Amino acid sequence: MTTLQAGARTQQEKRPIRAQLTGLLLVAPPIALLALLVAWPAVSAISFSLGLIPGNNLLFSQGLHLIRSDHPTFQVYKALWGQPAFRADLALTVGVALWSTLSICVLAYALALYTHFHRHRLATLLRSLYLVPMFVPVVIASYGLLLFFEGRGWLGSLIAQLGAPYRSPIFHQGGVVLGQVWQGIPFGVLLLGAGLEQIAPELLDAARDCGANIWTLLGRVILPLNWTGLLIVATFTFIGGMGSFTIPFLLGPNAPQLLAVEMNNYFGSFDQPQPAVAMAVLTFLIASLAGGLYVFATYRQRKL
Amino acid sequence: MSRPLSKVTGWALLIGLSFFLIGPLVNLLLWAFSSRWPYPSLLPEHWSLRWWRFVLQDHSIAHAVWASLSTAPVVTLLSVLLCLPAAYALSRLPVPGGRFWMISLLAINAFPKFGLYIAIATLFFRIGLIGTYWGVILIQLLGTVVFMVWIPKAAFDAVPRELEEAARDCGAKPLAVFLRVTLPIALPSIAIAAILAFLAAFDESQGTLIVGAPNITTMPILMYRLVSSYPQPVSAVFSVLLGLPSLTLLLLVRRSLLSGRLAAGFGV
Repeated sequence: MTTLQAGARTQQEKRPIRAQLTGLLLVAPPIALLALLVAWPAVSAISFSLGLIPGNNLLFSQGLHLIRSDHPTFQVYKALWGQPAFRADLALTVGVALWSTLSICVLAYALALYTHFHRHRLATLLRSLYLVPMFVPVVIASYGLLLFFEGRGWLGSLIAQLGAPYRSPIFHQGGVVLGQVWQGIPFGVLLLGAGLEQIAPELLDAARDCGANIWTLLGRVILPLNWTGLLIVATFTFIGGMGSFTIPFLLGPNAPQLLAVEMNNYFGSFDQPQPAVAMAVLTFLIASLAGGLYVFATYRQRKL
Repeated sequence: MSRPLSKVTGWALLIGLSFFLIGPLVNLLLWAFSSRWPYPSLLPEHWSLRWWRFVLQDHSIAHAVWASLSTAPVVTLLSVLLCLPAAYALSRLPVPGGRFWMISLLAINAFPKFGLYIAIATLFFRIGLIGTYWGVILIQLLGTVVFMVWIPKAAFDAVPRELEEAARDCGAKPLAVFLRVTLPIALPSIAIAAILAFLAAFDESQGTLIVGAPNITTMPILMYRLVSSYPQPVSAVFSVLLGLPSLTLLLLVRRSLLSGRLAAGFGV
């Protein structure tokens, strides 16, 4: 190798290193935000809920019923678990999240399939319709649903005019599911629809030529190919349900109540940040189970 | 599916969905213009604008409008400034671990939101950001990061390299190539991401509630109080005011959402 060639090579190697550094520098701000607003709070929440309290902080140690320890302890969790009210809250929260996920997956899949396979005016109308919730702030949506579905709301009036009894879902878990479904439809249909776009029409034609009816087509061709999309929607809907506050606050039951509402009470009104943070950590754990399931399933599918 | 059957299914979906999705919004709009609406009437008995006058003259509402307008645009601008260069770098530069950084941003969405806000609020308590303007800016910023990186990144990816190379061959400097070739082509997607960022910040009602309290009351936060302590028409009028920006922007970006730019942003 001549010195000339070697010089040219170091020149070429230098440029990627500079580009790499520039790249890292440009990527740093959002990553720093992630570290500041997700990683740090999450870690400090876990250690706080384990009784490790930074001693130098006055504000922090003013909370009521504080459990303080030199080494990690599960006392905060034990105290929470000892309350039947908390156990009921937890069961309700997971139950509502599961019901919302199931309802959104079924409804969004039906909508995605219909709007994918039909191109007439009706389908176009549906396509504009299912996007609406995306652009309505969740506070307004919840309030709208409240006025519409509550006992003496519009639906109640309609049913009363018809002379039938009406049992409102509002202030029960049905109200929360209703709100989650309302809010979750656009995300579900958009993602599932994008997955459907990737299925080659030839595949469907081939299956149809072999005499497959719509259900066989759905169960044997479309669903297996679109499995990942469905899993993404299910996972994120479940996590969204675990972490939503406004909908359960305005539409949910009072006793038991959803964890987010309970967290807000503990953090604000009761001045007990530690149990609130412990509840937050519990929702992280449950969500990470759901996330882990999703990662596992997609990983297995890639391997197959 | 046979044609008539598919039409029937379509109509059933359309009617059911309109009732469920649009019904509550129309009902809310009617409440905003009613002065008397006893149960079980299906329409208001008296129409009036008096609650509009009430809302528009209320000071706490003017304050909330100001709180919203002094946060959401700032958040949008910051989000563009912080995330757009990152999106470009992830698309064009050999960033070490680029794929990893992209995926790790999704961690923001992998946390149940309210739990995360509680954790953040506890931390902000410790470092003195609770109830402050910058605390609110930060918490609203968090909700914009993912799509402000993912959507523009996908847009930069879609700009044909040949065009950039052609410009470079004609002697254009890198900055000129970016400003006159790459950016204009990617701009529509970036604009959509910015609009989504604005909406996310403007409508943010959960993080702002715990981090902003008790000093900062944006419009969505005021809504909680109106719902619990004012007659229905007041909240209804306020809902219309609060929902208008969102609906206007919906009409602007509807077409691009349908063309799949958003789904591209989710990496599907």
